[in-house]
Amino acid sequence: MDTGTDYLDPGLSYTVEGWGVMWNVYLPLLGYKHVNGPDGATIVPYLAQDLPKVSSDGKTYTLTLRKGVKYSDGTAVKASDFKASIERDFKIDSPGVGFFGNIVGASEFAKTKTGSISGITADDSTGVITIKLSAPQGDFDNILATEFAALLPSSTPAKDQSTTPAPSTGPYMLQSYTPNKSIVEVRNPNFDASLYGGNVPQGNPDKVVWDVIGDDNVALQRTISGQDQWSSYHPIPPDRLAEVQSKYADQIKLFTPANTYYFFMNTRVAPFNNLKVRQAVNYAINREALVRVYGGLATTTENVLPPTYPQYKKLNLYPYNLAKAKALIAASGDKGMPVTVWNHDRGLDPRTTAYLVPVLNSIGLKAKEKIVNAAVYWTTIGNQATKAQIGFADWFQDYPHPLDWFDVLLNGERITQTHNNNYANFDDASVNSQIDSLKKEPVLDNAANARWATVDKEVMQQAPWAPFLNRQLTDFFYSNVDLSCYVNHVLYEFDYSTICVK
Amino acid sequence: MAQQATETEFTLDTAAELAAHEEPEAIRGRSPWYLAWRRLRRNYVAFFFLFVFIVVVVACAFAPVYAKHVAGTGPNTNHILENVKVNGKETPVVSSGGYIDPHTGKLCPTSQSGCKLVASIPIGPTWFGAGGKFVLGADQNGRDIAVRLLYGGRTSLFIGIFSSAICVFFAVILALVAAYYGGWADFTITRFFDVMFAFPVILLGIALGSALAINGFHHFGINIQSGSIWIPTLIISYVLVPYIGRPLRGQVLSLREKEFVEASISQGASPLRVMFIELLPNIASSVIVFFTLIIANNILLETALSFLGAGVQPPTASWGTMIADGQNLIVTRPWLSFAPGLAIIITVVSLNVFGDGLRDALDPRAKVKVSH
Repeated sequence: MDTGTDYLDPGLSYTVEGWGVMWNVYLPLLGYKHVNGPDGATIVPYLAQDLPKVSSDGKTYTLTLRKGVKYSDGTAVKASDFKASIERDFKIDSPGVGFFGNIVGASEFAKTKTGSISGITADDSTGVITIKLSAPQGDFDNILATEFAALLPSSTPAKDQSTTPAPSTGPYMLQSYTPNKSIVEVRNPNFDASLYGGNVPQGNPDKVVWDVIGDDNVALQRTISGQDQWSSYHPIPPDRLAEVQSKYADQIKLFTPANTYYFFMNTRVAPFNNLKVRQAVNYAINREALVRVYGGLATTTENVLPPTYPQYKKLNLYPYNLAKAKALIAASGDKGMPVTVWNHDRGLDPRTTAYLVPVLNSIGLKAKEKIVNAAVYWTTIGNQATKAQIGFADWFQDYPHPLDWFDVLLNGERITQTHNNNYANFDDASVNSQIDSLKKEPVLDNAANARWATVDKEVMQQAPWAPFLNRQLTDFFYSNVDLSCYVNHVLYEFDYSTICVK
Repeated sequence: MAQQATETEFTLDTAAELAAHEEPEAIRGRSPWYLAWRRLRRNYVAFFFLFVFIVVVVACAFAPVYAKHVAGTGPNTNHILENVKVNGKETPVVSSGGYIDPHTGKLCPTSQSGCKLVASIPIGPTWFGAGGKFVLGADQNGRDIAVRLLYGGRTSLFIGIFSSAICVFFAVILALVAAYYGGWADFTITRFFDVMFAFPVILLGIALGSALAINGFHHFGINIQSGSIWIPTLIISYVLVPYIGRPLRGQVLSLREKEFVEASISQGASPLRVMFIELLPNIASSVIVFFTLIIANNILLETALSFLGAGVQPPTASWGTMIADGQNLIVTRPWLSFAPGLAIIITVVSLNVFGDGLRDALDPRAKVKVSH
């Protein structure tokens, strides 16, 4: 396990690592199929008996809790736990509260944090949960399938429970978590897979131990030697790919999660409040060079959406052209403007800004780099007080829907003072209204997909980002792992619950 | 006894012994500095390492010349997609990664059948096979390691020398004030030293480095932007002040009771005059030795802090950041870390050996050492 785990509290964690651990621990009402490939994006009922019944106006969701489900401590799961869990998210300032802002009464509750969210009603005797929305929301099923909507007992304290794990509903429970050291999971004695109609597996391993390792080479070596069985969240170092493949070809799995790596440019701060400067940066970066920085395991992109999305329509707005970039900077009137380029200090990512800084200097800006510890990087650049001008960012989907990209990352109406995901502070009235309109679409048909592709293009014409690649990743296993059981989920990546040994 | 014999060989020749070797007509008064120089110049080992250190300093000073006229690149310039001729053969600075067709050698767009996964490895040392380019190889961004090594040396030496100067300056002031005035002044300053001693140096350096990494330092009329090498310079000088200040205070306390100080005071000398005209010259030899030894110590501390991300900020090269950069490629390109590591060893050993020689020459009985 790399050092990327932020929390092991479903209300607080917002990293691939945190969710990867917890999706077999804390179950929401809805979830995703535990299968390989695009079918993994299919939403199925987890703690709910069925998929939600949606009213004709698209604003009321009704679900019923499965009967007989229990927490790992033996207590029964109640419908009111859902309401309490969502309210707890607001009380602990969860980074996921923005997902629930459309629930009636949520915005008032967010301000006062007292009383309750009026739009959620739960009947413990029948198990019926009703959620009322202010406006139709096409991705609300996906929202209900996030870890932020996972059920915890109503009595769970409204503070971080990472190191004192709350009782779980999934096939595994957290036995212990020592930050930056280890995570230990054991079977949940009160989990019964037969209650879930095959949607949640019983799990093969009896115990899962994650040792936190900082270095990719060390993680690889430990897995080669059998000290670990999975080099979790550690890509094979680019310089060792060929060697590892020649010796251990059967132990490598390559996969392409939905992701986009990009440089954000803060449209509220000079010089990036100038369209010409933002476009110049897009012209100036040679995306092929950045792909090589990641060992070639990536494809170049100029889109916001990753190519795995049906809404993706390849853009070619900014072919590499250094002369044009210089001309744009000269025309912008911002030549010689000081620029601070932000990045964190983990993995291969710092190399991207080591590339970007001399590029910016070469086109006429005066750039310097600022590297921040990975543990605080996202909150630092997501704080308006920082006024981060430009920097590295990447995005791995929370759920497979264009709203997770445009609404979360680029909707100007969702810009916040802190924990802001719209690092570019991009706020374009036309784009905002298109996102709001598409949000109401209940299904993603061809027409809706085409409209999303248009949004992608309109955003990139405004160039708040300089997207550069979609990354491929590797999983590496010890030789005794039977990879015929291997499941790589479209959202949660490697599904450790389904793995088996030879 | 054995130790004394060794010291006598190089350093323990007293003024009287020196005089005994002189012709009668040449006997005249010798200043302590002259005697020290006489002792030092007989210590060939110390002189050899002084020469080594000077070579390192000169090499680093000429880094821009090397970069412009030999390597043809800057310390932060990326050459990821470029080729370089090594012994007449075009070689990529950073080899292609991803999928490659083993028959044509061309990149495959995806993992289509028949394509193999290949590594992305920067070029290794070309020595002189590429006309001075990439003599020690390149890093993952295609930056010339030899150029970065020399520029990194400038950074590390700058921080080592200036932090030592600042540290010794404040340590001397505090030691003189504490020992001369005693009482509350001494109590306050020594408690300050105690508080500083309570923190391990590296941990205190990391804490300060991390705290100042984002916004820099903007207090007391001093404005230092984050990323400036003055941040690690000042942090290192600050955390080591008590390690120099305390032993110097002890020396001044001892001198404070001597007759010549009493005589000076009784003749109406002001406190400043006593401190800086009477006391300071008597601890000057220790100060010089401390300064020399602490440069090596500070270079090591800078390296450690930069390696841990709390010192010099990228992309500025320093020997510490270079070791950190090379860490991920330690298996395939060990030179990325070995080269700055070797530079650190050579510099630190040369400074330490010369510093020891200087100590023996200036004050053979002194027990000056830097440890924390």
